[in-house]
Amino acid sequence: MKFRIRLPYLLLAPSIIVLLALILYPLGFALRNSFWFWNLQTSPMPLYHSGLDNYRMVFQVTPFTEALKNTVLLAGIGVFAQFWFGMGIALLLYTHLRGMGLFRALLIMPTTLAPVVAGFLFRYLLEPKGGVLTWLLQGIGFPVPPQGFLGNANTALFTIGVVDTWQWTPFFAIVLYAGLLSISEEVLEAALVDGATRWRLFWSISLPLLRPIAAFLVMIRFMQLFNSFDLVYVLTSGGPGTASRTLSFNLYREGLVNYNIGLTAAMTWLVAIIVSIIINLYLFFIYRKREW
Amino acid sequence: MSKKNLSRRDFLRMSGAAGAAVAGGLSPLANLSRVAAQSDATINVLTVGDPWDLALQSVVDQFTEMTGIGVNIESLGYTALQARLINAFLTQSADADVIAVDQMWISQYADNGWIRSLDDFIGMDSDANFDDFLPECLYSLSTWRNHVWTLPIASYAQGIMYRTDLFEAAGLDPLPSSVADAGDWTWEDYFGILDQINGMDLDGTSMYGTTVIGAQPVPVVHMFTGLSASYGTRWFTQFPEAPWDFTPTINSEANVAALHDWNRLYGWSPPESINYLWFDAGTRYSQGDIGMFYHWTPYFYLVNNEGYLTGTPSPVVDKTATAVLPTRTAGGDQVVSLGGWSLGMPSTSANQDAAWQFIKWATGSEAQKAMGEVNVKGYQFADFSRKSNYDDAGLNEIYPFLGTQLEMMNLGDGKVARPPAPIYTSLEGVYGLQINQTMSGAVTPEQALETTQILFQNILSGNQMIPYGVDSFDDTLENTKALQASLSGM
Repeated sequence: MKFRIRLPYLLLAPSIIVLLALILYPLGFALRNSFWFWNLQTSPMPLYHSGLDNYRMVFQVTPFTEALKNTVLLAGIGVFAQFWFGMGIALLLYTHLRGMGLFRALLIMPTTLAPVVAGFLFRYLLEPKGGVLTWLLQGIGFPVPPQGFLGNANTALFTIGVVDTWQWTPFFAIVLYAGLLSISEEVLEAALVDGATRWRLFWSISLPLLRPIAAFLVMIRFMQLFNSFDLVYVLTSGGPGTASRTLSFNLYREGLVNYNIGLTAAMTWLVAIIVSIIINLYLFFIYRKREW
Repeated sequence: MSKKNLSRRDFLRMSGAAGAAVAGGLSPLANLSRVAAQSDATINVLTVGDPWDLALQSVVDQFTEMTGIGVNIESLGYTALQARLINAFLTQSADADVIAVDQMWISQYADNGWIRSLDDFIGMDSDANFDDFLPECLYSLSTWRNHVWTLPIASYAQGIMYRTDLFEAAGLDPLPSSVADAGDWTWEDYFGILDQINGMDLDGTSMYGTTVIGAQPVPVVHMFTGLSASYGTRWFTQFPEAPWDFTPTINSEANVAALHDWNRLYGWSPPESINYLWFDAGTRYSQGDIGMFYHWTPYFYLVNNEGYLTGTPSPVVDKTATAVLPTRTAGGDQVVSLGGWSLGMPSTSANQDAAWQFIKWATGSEAQKAMGEVNVKGYQFADFSRKSNYDDAGLNEIYPFLGTQLEMMNLGDGKVARPPAPIYTSLEGVYGLQINQTMSGAVTPEQALETTQILFQNILSGNQMIPYGVDSFDDTLENTKALQASLSGM
């Protein structure tokens, strides 16, 4: 009897051990390094225990707070825009108008591009001198900054968000469209019979029923955008100044340019803690009335 | 070294060192005696995708024909190369036999024992013609703590390019192409010309006075330090002269003045140049709406292409002249930024003899000349580090600006303009950010340099460089000259 009780645990043990090793070991290794002075520019090995110096250095020598602010803005506004644009497109697809099949097929294309490719594409489109998008926007009287959208401190981060939104809105649209298709037509018809307007139908039935999918989608994209690096690197390299500097770009600079392993480990832990807090708060508010 | 090239002097020298060589096992003498046996070796070379790399790849077959040593060249981007090398060093894997080394990596690689000193190879191989190298190039790119770690394959100074047709239209005299002609040529004169030509109409094109390289952090530091070094800026209280004191002096009066004038330069530049990388500025000039700018000397020939290495002649071909950099005060001292790439040998290389043969060949006068004569997408290599190449009539015909370039090299000091001290890249990161912030108007030059000073202090203290507890070395050009003479057997 005892064996029958233990058997499931025994069978699960290998995968749990492997999983823990793959998650805990790197985190533990990074945590240990964050308390050591280890800079490859000066020594190939950790030199001495440095207490909280690396954590203090994160705030003293890197633009951490600016990067945090930019990252939260980019992730928050980016996901918000992508969700609602995606929802709009999903509702359009749901109308089954003529040509929607072709539109659906084309829609996914931006998402299939590597972010680096999308970045280069928009870098050329947004060239202040001769970029097609710049030219078009100037043509309709849109105020284009003289340094270009990517060279202006007020527009650089916003432009990265626009490019990311261009690339990832279709992903939201396709997934939300699939969610809309899964809603029982009988429920919608019943509401219509009871006199519900289309608007009421959307707010009171479709949107609540989409919530599990939407919540998951938002969480995944938020985490992705929070770690966004490729577009920032290609489009602005965090500039001008720190106007579009993100936490991932900071990590790249300290880890792969400055090779300060201790400082990078401390920054990694700070970022991990911040992301965990945000995600857990989000999950708490989204699922507080549900089990998941 | 092939047997037929072994001189009597080399033989005697090698004989004298034979005992030590046998005992050491790894000494170059032991290596050299195995050269013939290794002639069928194949070496792996990791380089960076700079113009010189294309020229090198075009002539590398000559090396294989000459020595029988096969060469696999792999070119990577700057960051990818650094990441690959450090990964290989940390795991002690023999990833490559010869590597391209940025001047800023020398201290790190040498102090960590990741690359081996070339002193012994040079000292025992008269074919290296070590005395032919410009000492300023060796000093800036290859020496650290009185040892030679690499040999320069592409050296870059900085100089001015300007539009002769625009100058003619504006009634301006040609700029001095040599220091002897420069007289009282100052930066204030340079700014005066920019003020005059900025906004001028030339054949229907509205001209910008100049263009800067504004992208942060590395590109803007490369160009700004050209100006600031000329203004007399020193990054630290005492470096490279001993004893080293890394207390920062980056907010000095000279540097504040330089940063103010840097922002004046930006005012005469296209606004988007705040995000320009090196090649953005070069290609912008070659597109024809920039009157004059200063840049690394490879752009003396790169601007002949409409784009970056496109092979399509630019509209400014035959309308561009080169000039020497001005000084801050009339007849004052000049320091020119000198940078570039050199070839080194990882300590883990299993083919050190063959690797040395390759380094010696690729940085040698003949191979450098052959690289200079490559004309695939236009002539694309004039970044010589040897006197003999600058004296070569054929090369001077292809690259008529070599005289000006040599004068800038002779005033070059890569250890003052961008000091290759340990943790340089961390300092460059915060410095470039602050310079860029002044261009966007977020902070004033005074605020930017005050912040830089504090950040430098924090970084240097945090990395145990203030106070500096390791032995210093009096790293002067004079000492490099002495080292060069000693290794050349002079």
